[in-house]
Amino acid sequence: MSKLKSCFICSLLFVVFCPSSGFFGSGDSFRRKVSVEVNPGLTPPSTLPPGVHLVHVRALGQNDTLHFLFCNQGAPSLLLVHTNTTESTVHVNWPEFINRSSSGGLQVEPQSSVQYSSALIITRLWEYSDVNNTADPQHTSESSFYPPYELQDFIWSEFNQSDHRIRICGGDRTAASFTNGTFCLQISAFESEGRESAWPGLLHNSNSSQLRVSLEGVTARVNYSRFSLELQSVGDSGFLGRVDVHRSIDDEYTPSIFKVSQWVSLPVNSSRVWGYAQWKPVAYRKSSPVTEDATPCSHTEPIPMARLPPSALIQAYFSHGPQTYGLNVSFGIAGDAFYNATNYLSWTVLMGVGDPPVDSFSVFIICIMAVGLGTPLVLIIVGVVFLWIRKRTSQSSGYEPIN
Amino acid sequence: MADSGQRRSLLKEDEEDEDVSANMSPLCDPRHLLHRILVLIFMCFLGFGSYFCYDNPAALQTQVMQDMNLNTASFMQLYAWYSWPNVVLCFLGGFLLDRVFGIRLGTIIFSLFVLIGQIIFAAGALADHFWLMEAGRFVFGIGGESLAVAQNTYAVSWFKGKELNLVFGLQLSMARLGSTVNMNVIGWVYGRIQMMMGSAGHTTLGITLMISASTCVFSLTCALVLGFLDRRAEKILHKEQGKTGEVIKLTDVKHFPFSLWLIFIICVAYYVAIFPFIGLGQVFFIEKFGFSSVQARAINSVVYIISAPASPVLGFMVDRTGRNIMWVLLAVVTTLLSHLMLAFTLWNPWIAMSLLGLSYSLLACALWPMVAFVVAEHQLGTAYGFMQSIQNLGLAVISLAAGAILDTKGYLFLEVFFIICMCCALITVVLLYLYNSYTEGELNLSASTRARRAKALSESSEDAGRLHSCQQSVNDQEHMKPLSPFGLRNRYLSRLGVQDKFPIVQLRGSSLREEHQD
Repeated sequence: MSKLKSCFICSLLFVVFCPSSGFFGSGDSFRRKVSVEVNPGLTPPSTLPPGVHLVHVRALGQNDTLHFLFCNQGAPSLLLVHTNTTESTVHVNWPEFINRSSSGGLQVEPQSSVQYSSALIITRLWEYSDVNNTADPQHTSESSFYPPYELQDFIWSEFNQSDHRIRICGGDRTAASFTNGTFCLQISAFESEGRESAWPGLLHNSNSSQLRVSLEGVTARVNYSRFSLELQSVGDSGFLGRVDVHRSIDDEYTPSIFKVSQWVSLPVNSSRVWGYAQWKPVAYRKSSPVTEDATPCSHTEPIPMARLPPSALIQAYFSHGPQTYGLNVSFGIAGDAFYNATNYLSWTVLMGVGDPPVDSFSVFIICIMAVGLGTPLVLIIVGVVFLWIRKRTSQSSGYEPIN
Repeated sequence: MADSGQRRSLLKEDEEDEDVSANMSPLCDPRHLLHRILVLIFMCFLGFGSYFCYDNPAALQTQVMQDMNLNTASFMQLYAWYSWPNVVLCFLGGFLLDRVFGIRLGTIIFSLFVLIGQIIFAAGALADHFWLMEAGRFVFGIGGESLAVAQNTYAVSWFKGKELNLVFGLQLSMARLGSTVNMNVIGWVYGRIQMMMGSAGHTTLGITLMISASTCVFSLTCALVLGFLDRRAEKILHKEQGKTGEVIKLTDVKHFPFSLWLIFIICVAYYVAIFPFIGLGQVFFIEKFGFSSVQARAINSVVYIISAPASPVLGFMVDRTGRNIMWVLLAVVTTLLSHLMLAFTLWNPWIAMSLLGLSYSLLACALWPMVAFVVAEHQLGTAYGFMQSIQNLGLAVISLAAGAILDTKGYLFLEVFFIICMCCALITVVLLYLYNSYTEGELNLSASTRARRAKALSESSEDAGRLHSCQQSVNDQEHMKPLSPFGLRNRYLSRLGVQDKFPIVQLRGSSLREEHQD
C-alpha cells in the first residue's frame, strides 16, 4: 500500500509543479482606453499621396500612454512609442512629413516623457525558385532569387477601419504578379488581454498590437516559388536586438506549434526586456485554415543595417542615431507544398512593450487534469479507509466469541 | 480437445511410423526436429507481412498526409478501418478456421486477404483515391487479425507438447520485428523512391506501399508452403488438421461477472491511450521535441522493441509474485506518468517512451491472465473474444476522436485526452481492487496463496463449489476445456506484444498439476 501511496504522491507533485511555470507570469491584465485616429491634424493644402494613411492608435493607461503609429508612405511601418504620462500627444508637421525632407516631421510630445520607442518595418518581399524543395533560402543560390518586391513602391488601394482594426492592401502595380493579387496588412490594437480565435491565436495584452501580413492570390513567378519577408526593426540607440526561440509545451491555441520566437530589444548593459516582436514560427496557407494548412517558417539572425529603412514614418520620427536591424522570415519547410498550391500565405506578429506575453494553460485543461487525477486519488483514499474500517470491525467481531 | 489424449495418440503414431521415417532425410521427416525447425521458419514469417504493413501509416504519417492531402482525422481512418472488421471477426476467426475452411485453406485465404488488402491500399495511393485506401485497410483488417489465429493454431498443431512456449515466443518476436523493421525502414524506402522519381507525390507513396506489399507476397508464399508441408505431414503421420478449438457462445456474456466487465473497461481505456498514440507519435516527436524523422520513427518503435525482451521477464515476475491487480495498478500509474511527462515536460522523450514500453509490457502480462481467474474455462474463448472485440471497437472510435482532437486542439489536448483515458483506467483498477477485496476474490492473491488455495481445492472436491466459479473440478476442466488456455490466450496476445514464456494461466494449471504429482 505504501508503494501505491508514494506513486500517487509522485503523480500529484507532478501535476502541481510541472505546469507551474506556465500558470503564472501572464502579463498586465489591466485595460487601456484605445482610440484610433487616421491622419491626425491633416488639413488641405497638405495631402498624402493616394492610398497612403497615417494611423494613430492611442492606448491610454492609468499613468502612461502607448502610441502605435502606422504609416504606409514608403515601406509600411508600425511604430510604438511608450510615454510615462497620460498627457502625451503626437504632433505631425504635415508638410515636412509628406516631403520626407528631414527628421522631426513627427514627434511625440513632451519628448521627455518618451520611455521607449521601437518600430517594425516590412521592407521587401522576396521570391525564390526552390527547385530542390529545401525551403532554405539561406543556402539557395542567388540566381534562384527573383528581384524582390520593394514595399516602398507598392500602390495601396484598399483601406478599411473597423473599431480597433485597420486593414490595408496593395501591390506592386508594375508587376504582372499583382494583377489579381494583393499584399495585405491588418493592424489590431487591444484594450486588454486576450487572443484572437483565428490561428495562430497569439496571446496579446493591452501593451501590444498585432500585425497580420497576408499574401493573397499573387501569381507566383515560377511553379516552385517560395516567399520570404524582409523585416527591419528600428530602435533607440543603446538597445540591442536579439531573437530568442522559446520552446513551449502548450500548443492548444496553435495546434502542433511548440515554439515561439521573440525579437526582443534590451538595453546594452541590462537583461530587462523593454520591447518585443513576437511570433509563432507558423504561417497559414488558407484564409480560414485547418491544421494541414499550417506551414512552418524560419528566420535568420538579425544583422545591423547601415541605413534607415525607406519609410516616411521612421525618417520623420527617429533623429538621434537610431539602431537598425534586419532579418528575413521565410515560409515553408522542405517537402512542403509551394505557394501556388493555395496562392495564399498569412503570418502574424505581435509587437509591444515590456515582457512578451507567455502562454498558459487554459482553465479547461487545468479543470480536466484536476478532475482526472483527483478522482482516482479520492477514490483510493475513501476505498482504503473503507476497507480498513471493515477489516477492523470484522476482526473485532471475530474475537468476540473468544471473549 | 484434450491435449494429453492427442499427444498420446501422436506418440503412438510416432512409434508406428518409425519404419517410414527411416527412408527420409531428417529435413523431410515431419517427426524430426530439423523438419520442425524448417516449418517454424515458415510459421514465423507467415505473420511478418501483416505486422510489417499494419503500421505502414504510422511510419509514413507525414508522407501519407501530404501526398493524399489529408487531415489527421482522415489519416486515423486508416487505423479505424483496420479495427472495424475485427469487432466482429474476433468471434468468427476461430469458427471460420475450424468449420469452414480448415486451417490450411483458411491460412491461405487470410494471407490472400492481407495481400489483396495491402495491394488495394497501395493502389488507392497510386490512383490518388483515399476511399480506396480505406477499403484496402478494411480488407487488410479482415485478414490480419485472423491470420494471427491461424499462425497460433499451426504452432499448437506442430509443437504441442514439444517446444510450444519457445515457438509462441519466437512468433511474437517476429511480430515485434515486423513492426520495428517497418517503423525504421519504410521511411527510408520512401526517400529512395522519391529520389528516383525526382519528386514526392501519391505515386511515390503508392510505389512504397506496393513494395511493402511484397512482404505480404512473402507471407502468402509461407502460407502455401506451410499448407503443403502440413498436408504432407498429415498423409505421412495420419494426423488431423489443427483446430483452434475455440468455442464462442455469445449467450455467455450475460453470465460474465462484474469484475470481468471492470477488466474489459481497463483493457479498452488503457489500449486506446497506446495504439492511437503510436499511430500519431511520429509527427508529435518531430513537432514538439524537434526530432528528425528518422529519430522520430526510432523512438516511436521503442515501445515494440522494449516489449520484446521485457515481456518474458515481466511475465515471469508477475507469475511468481501473483498480486495481479497491484501490477496492473503499477502499469497504469507508470503509463499515466509517462503520458504526463510527454504532455507537460520537455524532458527527453526517450525516458517517457521507455517507461511506456515497460509499463505496456507489464500491463499485458498482468491484465490478460486475470480473465482466466474470473470466468470458467469453457467461457474463456468467449471472454477473450469479447475483450478483443470491444478493444477493437474502442480503438476504432478513439482513433477517429484522436485525429479530430489533434486537428482542432493540438497535441497538448490530445495528450490530456489520453491522460483522461488513463485516469479512467486507473479509476477502474482501483474499483477492481476494492471490489476484489470486498468480495475476497483471488485476483490480488500472491502466487503462493493461490497455490495453497488450488491445493485445498483439489484435496476436497466438495470445496470446489464453494469457491469461485472458475474453480471447477479438474475433471470438469478436462472435458470442457476447448483449448489449452495458454494457446488460446496467446492468440489474443499476439497483437499486444505479450511474449510470455511463463504464462500465468498455465502456472495456475501447473499448480494443479503439481498437486496430482504429489
